[in-house]
Amino acid sequence: MKPKVAIFDLTDCEGCEVQIVNSKFIDRVLGGVEFVHFRLGQRVNRWEEFDVAFIEGAVITSHELELVKKIREHSKIVVALGSCACFGGIAAISNFMDIKEAKRYVYGENADKIETLYIKPLPEIIKVDFMIRGCPIVPEDFERVVSDLFAGRIPREHTRPVCMDCKSKGNPCQLLKNVPCAGPVTYGGCGAPCPSAGMPCDGCRGPLEEPQMSAELELLKKIASKDDIVRLFRKYAPMAPLFKDVGGEKL
Amino acid sequence: MIYDEFVTQIEGHGRIYFDIKDGKVVEARLEIHEGSRLFESFLRGRRADEVPQMSSRICGVCPVPHNMAAIQALENAMGIEASEQTKMLRRFMISSQMVQDHALHLYVLAAADYLGVTGISEVYAKFPDAVKRCVRIRTVGNRGIELVGGRAVHPINSIPGGFAKLPTREDMEKIAKDFKAILNDCIETFRLFASLKCPDFERPTEYLAIDDGKHFPAYAGRLVTNRGLKVEAKEYRNHIKEVFKPYSNTKFCVMNGHGFHVGAIARVNLFKNRLNPTAKELLRESPVKFPSDNPLHNNLAQALEIVHYAEEAIKIAEELAVKLKDEERPKPTKAGTGVGVAEAPRGTLIHEYTVDKNGIVKDANLIIPTGMNTTNIEEDLYALLSANINKPKEQLKRLAEMLFRAYDPCLSCATH
Repeated sequence: MKPKVAIFDLTDCEGCEVQIVNSKFIDRVLGGVEFVHFRLGQRVNRWEEFDVAFIEGAVITSHELELVKKIREHSKIVVALGSCACFGGIAAISNFMDIKEAKRYVYGENADKIETLYIKPLPEIIKVDFMIRGCPIVPEDFERVVSDLFAGRIPREHTRPVCMDCKSKGNPCQLLKNVPCAGPVTYGGCGAPCPSAGMPCDGCRGPLEEPQMSAELELLKKIASKDDIVRLFRKYAPMAPLFKDVGGEKL
Repeated sequence: MIYDEFVTQIEGHGRIYFDIKDGKVVEARLEIHEGSRLFESFLRGRRADEVPQMSSRICGVCPVPHNMAAIQALENAMGIEASEQTKMLRRFMISSQMVQDHALHLYVLAAADYLGVTGISEVYAKFPDAVKRCVRIRTVGNRGIELVGGRAVHPINSIPGGFAKLPTREDMEKIAKDFKAILNDCIETFRLFASLKCPDFERPTEYLAIDDGKHFPAYAGRLVTNRGLKVEAKEYRNHIKEVFKPYSNTKFCVMNGHGFHVGAIARVNLFKNRLNPTAKELLRESPVKFPSDNPLHNNLAQALEIVHYAEEAIKIAEELAVKLKDEERPKPTKAGTGVGVAEAPRGTLIHEYTVDKNGIVKDANLIIPTGMNTTNIEEDLYALLSANINKPKEQLKRLAEMLFRAYDPCLSCATH
């Protein structure tokens, strides 16, 4: 029997689903699983027990809040797909703003008719079994987690910072060029695409386990303004543990 | 509350609601329930150099045009004049995106409508060669974006003034070969979609695209329509109005009080004379003639564009393979407001930003292709349903969704 898989998207850019389609794995996925619920990919979708449900996107509407609870009830394993699901994603920047004013700026006098919840990471709403991080995810992480799950293995966590990926690519260090970079505290395994393209890491995968956060902040204070440090961590994973605390008195 | 199922095989979350009484369509609505991420609000207060990357997060399906429109708007705001080479590389990125994204929409999302199957798994089971062709096309399109932008989904190193890192001449030579290798797949895609039966329907409307005076629409230019509009992009507010609808988180766009159409069909209707040679040749053998007023022909226009933009990518890559050089990135010379326009797969995209003297964004406004198409979609729905009023409700629903899907809508983008 093929594993029964569901893929759900909440409010987001759907780029992580595009990364799934971009995976070299896509042939094997299409041939090897049964999609019982996959709105983006098929017309007929069913609510039955899912062996694995992937949830992409942020919970912004009350519809989505109810939906994720329903998905949890139907799923043996729930995987949070991408940093919107794992950490609230880019839209959660508005958690740190005056939300009324933020809505008024976009919708004017109709602002009150638009519902936007305080954006919580998915693991704060339902039990999440695994997280595939990143904005966007890298296809290799998806391939690894899927192969592990379907082989009955527990997917392993990356334990090294982005710096290790960056070093292995032979990139010049951004911090040594006095460019604020989140690499030392960010969950690695992405292959460091940003420093490899000449830009700093902006922490899209959230923190690795037990990062040297205070050392990183001390270092950044020497080369960047307080506002720029806050901007660095309040970007693609603004509600991630530790990242969400950057700002205020701690700087 | 949990809504019933949303329309499948489109980007984002929405429903089509219609009501028929006494043999007449009394209501046809496009309800968009995508959550509002409030991009325009949270981009305020960000540094201008962060904004192109952040703006691309509006859409993971078409990140490149967002990135490009944002960069161009910021350059206009800050008085930066990009070099010809930079503009060529940007057109190359947009061409790569078009190839990659049109293939995704046609094979993964729209094909099921035409092939009489329910979705991607069934397409894969019954038409494995088509899926493999799609993968080949998309792989090269992605590689093109990645080569210049650093990453296929959400480009990294394209920034105001140019690129944080440039590809090499060898890279350009190689990617030109890669695009050449898929040109036949692109042609086959056009022939496949030209052979598929498309519902008969016609409703004349206004088509809008950008015109840089030289190229088939891609990067920068004036806003032009088939009904005589020809204005600088920065004047967009005088012509395109946003209207709030109580049933939609996306604001609806109107021009002179009516709907208008952006996207592949608009570009081909307006600028088919600027298509590259192979695409032009295919158009001659096409059973469907353009300009067309059947919105469902947008899919065939997309298939034609895959060929055109692949040829465009080859042309640019071959030229840069011999003359690409390192350049100094021009620096900001002023603060102020700027507008940027680019063609996304789904149509004309407008970004506008105001940047202060410290390089911080103070104001942002984004007009998204699917937002522009919303009113036109509703007008089409009325007409399409009225023309097929005697069909059973379930069939009407399918037809309405097929029309909606043919627009290649992106509700994530539209709501942002």
